[in-house]
Amino acid sequence: MVNLFKRMRKLKTILNVRVGEGAAILPAAASATKEFPAITRLHLTYARKMYNGHQGARHFWRNCLPRLKYYNPAIPMTVRQTDDQEGPAALTVYFAQQASKTAGLLATAELKDTHAPAPADNETAAALDVRGLGYSEIWTKVKKLTGAEEVPATAEELAELKELERLRAKAVEDRARIAALRQAKKDQERMLQEARGELEKMRQS
Amino acid sequence: MSSFSSLLPTAARGLISSCRSPLRPASMAPIVSSFQQARAASKGGRKKMMDKSKGSKPAKKGPKEFIQRDLKNIDRWALCDAMRYIRAIEVGREPTNVKYEIHVRLRTKRDGPVIRNMLRFPNPVSTESRICVICPPGSKAEQDAIAAGAVLVGEQVVFDAVKAGKIEFDRCIAHPDSMEAFNKAGLGRILGPRGLMPSAKMGTVVEDVAGRVDMLRGGTTYRERDAVIRLPIGQLGFSPEQLRDNLRHTLEQIKKDCANLNDRIYKDIYEVVLSSTNGPGFSLNGDFKTELSVDPAALQGN
Repeated sequence: MVNLFKRMRKLKTILNVRVGEGAAILPAAASATKEFPAITRLHLTYARKMYNGHQGARHFWRNCLPRLKYYNPAIPMTVRQTDDQEGPAALTVYFAQQASKTAGLLATAELKDTHAPAPADNETAAALDVRGLGYSEIWTKVKKLTGAEEVPATAEELAELKELERLRAKAVEDRARIAALRQAKKDQERMLQEARGELEKMRQS
Repeated sequence: MSSFSSLLPTAARGLISSCRSPLRPASMAPIVSSFQQARAASKGGRKKMMDKSKGSKPAKKGPKEFIQRDLKNIDRWALCDAMRYIRAIEVGREPTNVKYEIHVRLRTKRDGPVIRNMLRFPNPVSTESRICVICPPGSKAEQDAIAAGAVLVGEQVVFDAVKAGKIEFDRCIAHPDSMEAFNKAGLGRILGPRGLMPSAKMGTVVEDVAGRVDMLRGGTTYRERDAVIRLPIGQLGFSPEQLRDNLRHTLEQIKKDCANLNDRIYKDIYEVVLSSTNGPGFSLNGDFKTELSVDPAALQGN
């Protein structure tokens, strides 16, 4: 098994799951208001390649969705990759009972995402057209649509983040230093090799 | 001078030649002589080393046991907390395709026997594989195979289906009695590349067809490599309770395997790490949940 220290160092990356864009709690049945009803599930559809503005949707899945899932473990979130570049890049949000007040402004009613599951009887789906948007823009839209409450990072988390950043910068420096040392050693060896070759020649002649 | 020095060991010869009297006329070019000296010295050095290795024990090969670090200083997790992280990291993936894995690190010596076994989970991990059995039609083996749950059973029926390109099974087992007919049918070209050829070496040509079918259908094989047993123990959609049951069953079986070994060999579970297809590894502390954990009911499904 991999060295314990390496494993623990690698495991520090789970901090990324807790802190950053998308670290927010969506309204659940207990915390729902009239304006922002509870969210029952999320579904994202996008095409495999980035052409025609599908890149942001993929980045949203990679960056924001894990954090959303971490803070809302009970909400099912599905992602569907298609091969159809012309097809929709859509994030469908399912509300319990009726959609939120902001859905009328943000959601695109005519967007036809055939891959998204059909809403159940007591659900209303609102589809966001995310084609051509960056993942941060998508996240802002989702926040406005659902009324998600962001979870601020604690002081310890921020300190840890800073420490990791410091280590990362240090690693770049160290890497350059070690590379220089190794190169110097290699040069030295090559020089000796060449000198030995000349000696051989002298003896033969 | 030369005859005298040839009687001495090479190392001594080098020593002498280096402190030759300066009165002796230099017969060789200075570069060459210094080169020879250097060679003599190195030769002597090598011989010395060889003598040493002959006399005493051979060189040390490193520790006899795998390194066991103290696990007190590392972060360890309750099952539910680890699952919450893993589920967040695996978000959006197919819950039946992504698997939870465990890596069981053992406390053991570097040499000696390894643990190798098969087990059946209380909650099966993979969808049951479809099995084809080649055996003489009308035999007892055929009835047994059907009773054990094989999908396709027979001789000519199987050959025709395979030749027609309909391969609707994941594993293929043959009875020794029908190997002759099987070889005549010449299906190696079709089955070979798919890894479905029955062979005695793989344990897929057996007398006890029914028992083998039963094992292949729901079982998982595992083995110890470099003191670690790795095996998938659940689908991502499993609830914490299901996963806990599978985990408990697995660990019990591994403990039994450890106990069943030779008396002189001691093995023991040292660390259990929960991981997943794309996720990092979380060392488990043996608790199911902590007071900070989310409701276990939330940790299942998509």
